Amino acid sequence: MGGDDLTRVVEECRTLVEDPGYPAVRRWLDAHPGGKVLGHFQVYFPEELAHAAGMLPVKIMGAGSAVQIRHADARIAAFVCSIVRSSLELALSGRLDFLSLVVIPPICDAARNSCGVWARNFPDLPCQTLYLPQNAASSAALPYLRGEYRRLAGIIEDVAGTRITEGRLRASIELFNENRRLLRELYRLRRETPWLISAVEVYTLTRAAGVMPREEHTALLRRVLELLPERPAKRQDKVRVVFEGGFCEQPPLDMLALLQDICYIVDDDLLIGLRWILDDVGTEGDLLEQLAAAYLDHSSYSPVQRDPRKPKGEMLLRRIREARADAAIIAAAKMCEPGLEEQVNYIRVLEGAGIPYLVLEFEEKMTVFEQMRMEVETFAESLLFDFA
Amino acid sequence: MGAETSTWAGATRSENRRLMERWWQEMSTAEATGRPVAYVFVMGSLAELLRVFDCVINFPEITSLQTAMRGQSRDYLQAAEDAGYSPDICGYVKADVGLQLRKGAHPYGTVPRPQLVVATNMCNTYIKWSEIWEHMYGCPVFVLDLPAWRGTGAAGSDRDTFLGDLRYVEAQLRELIALCEQVTGRAFDVDRLREVMAEVNRMAAGYHAALALNRHRPAPFNAIREGVIYQGISNLYRGTPEGTRFFEVVGHELQERVRQGQGAVPEEKFRLLLAGTACYAYFRRFAELFEEWGGVFVHSTYMVFAGGGFPPGFGYDLARPLESLAAQLLTSAWWGFSSPMFYPQDWLAAVVQDWAVDGVCFHGVKSCRTTSTGLPDVREWLRTHRDIPGLFIQSDLVDPRLWSEAQIKNRIDAFFEALATRKDAVGR
Amino acid sequence: MVVAGVDVGSTQTKAVVIDHDRRILGRALRDTGARLTESATAAFREALEDAGIGEGEVAYVVGTGYGRFRVEFGDAQVTEISCHARGAVYLFPGTRSVLDIGGQDTKAIRVNETGQVLDFCMNDKCSAGTGRFLGAASQALEIPLGELGPLALQARSPVVMTTTCTVFAESEILGWLARGRKVEDVLMGVHVAIASRSLSLLRRVGIEPEITFTGGVARNVAMVKLLQELTGVPINVSEESHYCGAIGAALFALDRALVGTAEGRARA
Repeated sequence: MGGDDLTRVVEECRTLVEDPGYPAVRRWLDAHPGGKVLGHFQVYFPEELAHAAGMLPVKIMGAGSAVQIRHADARIAAFVCSIVRSSLELALSGRLDFLSLVVIPPICDAARNSCGVWARNFPDLPCQTLYLPQNAASSAALPYLRGEYRRLAGIIEDVAGTRITEGRLRASIELFNENRRLLRELYRLRRETPWLISAVEVYTLTRAAGVMPREEHTALLRRVLELLPERPAKRQDKVRVVFEGGFCEQPPLDMLALLQDICYIVDDDLLIGLRWILDDVGTEGDLLEQLAAAYLDHSSYSPVQRDPRKPKGEMLLRRIREARADAAIIAAAKMCEPGLEEQVNYIRVLEGAGIPYLVLEFEEKMTVFEQMRMEVETFAESLLFDFA
Repeated sequence: MGAETSTWAGATRSENRRLMERWWQEMSTAEATGRPVAYVFVMGSLAELLRVFDCVINFPEITSLQTAMRGQSRDYLQAAEDAGYSPDICGYVKADVGLQLRKGAHPYGTVPRPQLVVATNMCNTYIKWSEIWEHMYGCPVFVLDLPAWRGTGAAGSDRDTFLGDLRYVEAQLRELIALCEQVTGRAFDVDRLREVMAEVNRMAAGYHAALALNRHRPAPFNAIREGVIYQGISNLYRGTPEGTRFFEVVGHELQERVRQGQGAVPEEKFRLLLAGTACYAYFRRFAELFEEWGGVFVHSTYMVFAGGGFPPGFGYDLARPLESLAAQLLTSAWWGFSSPMFYPQDWLAAVVQDWAVDGVCFHGVKSCRTTSTGLPDVREWLRTHRDIPGLFIQSDLVDPRLWSEAQIKNRIDAFFEALATRKDAVGR
Repeated sequence: MVVAGVDVGSTQTKAVVIDHDRRILGRALRDTGARLTESATAAFREALEDAGIGEGEVAYVVGTGYGRFRVEFGDAQVTEISCHARGAVYLFPGTRSVLDIGGQDTKAIRVNETGQVLDFCMNDKCSAGTGRFLGAASQALEIPLGELGPLALQARSPVVMTTTCTVFAESEILGWLARGRKVEDVLMGVHVAIASRSLSLLRRVGIEPEITFTGGVARNVAMVKLLQELTGVPINVSEESHYCGAIGAALFALDRALVGTAEGRARA
């Protein structure tokens, strides 16, 4: 039956997402002997480049509470976010032994240091920094980024032992374009009819993209989108909320479950890196330049990217408006410098626009939510307050 | 003439005081004099360009650390936290927010508002900090993107990458120049740029000459105590005759001390390297905890990345000023500002060898992830790969609440005890 | 019409019964203990007895507090933040800021004239700004909690506590005593530390007079005086402070009970 099918697909994704053993990756390696895996850290990575060389791109997003930190704490100073630690722990504990290349963009100061830590601990694993522009509005940013993609492509070709031909790159771009279209459709569906699919479901379906072959993920999404409109679900009278703060370290599933009990999350920036490009990447002409242009000019926003053409406060207001949300939850991971600083900006903008908001701090490995539940409930209560 | 009279003793300190007062005077009168004010950072201040436009240059990292040296940072930090800034973010940022909330009232004078902010990507927090001023004041913010250390395995330090980076940086510099012209109303003068760059060449040579004197035993200066003075002037007076002159004075004073066999500590027993920054909230005490053991810091990564970031072989080619500025910025980004933090182990090992260093102190600063995140790992690497003893301690740049003397002293004492045993064993 | 609010806190359970003119008819207070539902039921019955009302006459019950979901006979649950806010405005209609320093946590709430929550902030890092810090002092000095306030008021030169953690509080307190500092000076130092941290929370939501101080620590005279000095604003404290949450819950119960009645429609 459709309903069981839908549940089954979502459960499969959840397993993939929660298992620190990367089962889908290992299945791919079994099916492709000699296949090479490229690990990329948050936030955005041009996965098409890896795919076009026959590599499997896998997003490293920390390990939540699934993995106990035994080795990473001795290597990373205190007062650093959990995702950097747990990602290193995944590597140090051998769970990422399938990686042939790792790329860590300099999104923040902890991540930049991470690259050095990985490089020292895994001398046989090439550890690269991909310099995405922080002066995105410069007229020279596009040619620069195209060159940086060319450099990265060269490294990928060396590691993969395969040349990235124009044909292969075009095919990869088309595949990822379609995947992004389907993700956008999933998000649209939730925005319009949030009772049909929960926040946790949308999240696990999205996150699965980063840990499985994109072809399979696309097929999975298509199936889900077919089945969803038929799902019997009761519309509830809940506050519509935008969740902002999940661009890097991820909130635990139980936290999202808590939030969805109390309100409808109608839009969010969770795993925005997988949804960074907002429309199709062009497939004509210089493909590397098309990828670079898509990153610079047709993209979403996050606290780790500086682009004066996309002031983050205004972008947030637009997201809230377009999602017809009543309020915003402004979250930040503990010790996340860009996130914590952006919170102050977001608050300023939301107060100016008279939009109710709740500020939260979370950690990927938290397991106790009593206080957070109370804060979110109180927030919802204050929005529904209509007594004298 | 009788016994040798020391003519240079104290000259550095008094020159430093004079120059600091002058800088604060410039800042406090900037609004009255109508000179344009630029906020910059120590890793990539672009003073070379800004001096062409006669800007008053504020270094918020320096004004922030000075609140801590004066024992007043707590109030500034608290004001920022009350305004909603998290306790866990960079202390420099919070101290400065506190300062801005007080309309620039600082223990040493008044900090003027910015007309322009120039940041590099050498520290991601620079960019967030700049956005804070952007929201507060609506001033233009220019982020100069400097692609730097790329990692390992086909590292990308090849010619093609460098040329691509160079084109990007040069184009950005032109955009920055256009912005400066717009903000200041002055035309760009390439000859003036050459003058300033020539001065930077001279100052850099003086800075390196002074640093090198610490190869002597006993080391004539302490990289923590005197080092931060040198770093301060290196940044504040970069590209000025006063800056160059300052390092001549430093050189004279240090050479005199070398001649007289005068060390930074009365009896030098241990020569150390610092990886990381100083602690400004308890500055004197921090130095004393090592000096009490006869320990002197002969060098530090701090003096490299926060003292101007001069890479080996630094020197501007005045025949092609813009291109040379771009090229040196790139190599500074790579060797001066990134490697000393993210991949310093080879440099540290080399200095330990060449400068007869006994051990390395890794000082993690709780609110600065840029300088601190990987320190424990570097320490471990040096221990296992090079058998170099290392100490890891944590405090903060400016937050006195994050200093725990008992804990820190314990670790320092244990470290020295181990070093002493090691020295005896090796028969040194 | 009669309604009730039951506040199941981690240490004490409070119940209040009010009528449709918002007059308090009866109240009860007891230790929570390990059996939350039983404690809630017992407090409810005691409040009814105090009011001289039968259980069948109660139109609506709202549960609040840490154990709010254990008020099984309740008709609805509302968080203690919302309830404290309404309760504080009930007790002092000029209230626009509420500071609640409890045994386990501290809350700062900004409210409007109807008791609606405009902004709030809770301490989430540790217990250094809560009653627990006083508990640690009480233990370290072997002085009963109730005597800490009056003793602290005798301080001439309070010490400056540097520790920010309750775990180290005891050793710092003993350290000061060992250095010859007077007990009252050390105690006042502890009070100052708590007050500073709590005020920091309050500043985050914005201090607007009048400030109403609730929670267990509100009975501490030294804390009240200190908060007054530090804010420069008079602090409201009520004998009924510990009923604040239960009163708010009862008011929510009244609103829900009136919805659907003519009076309720008129008030809305």
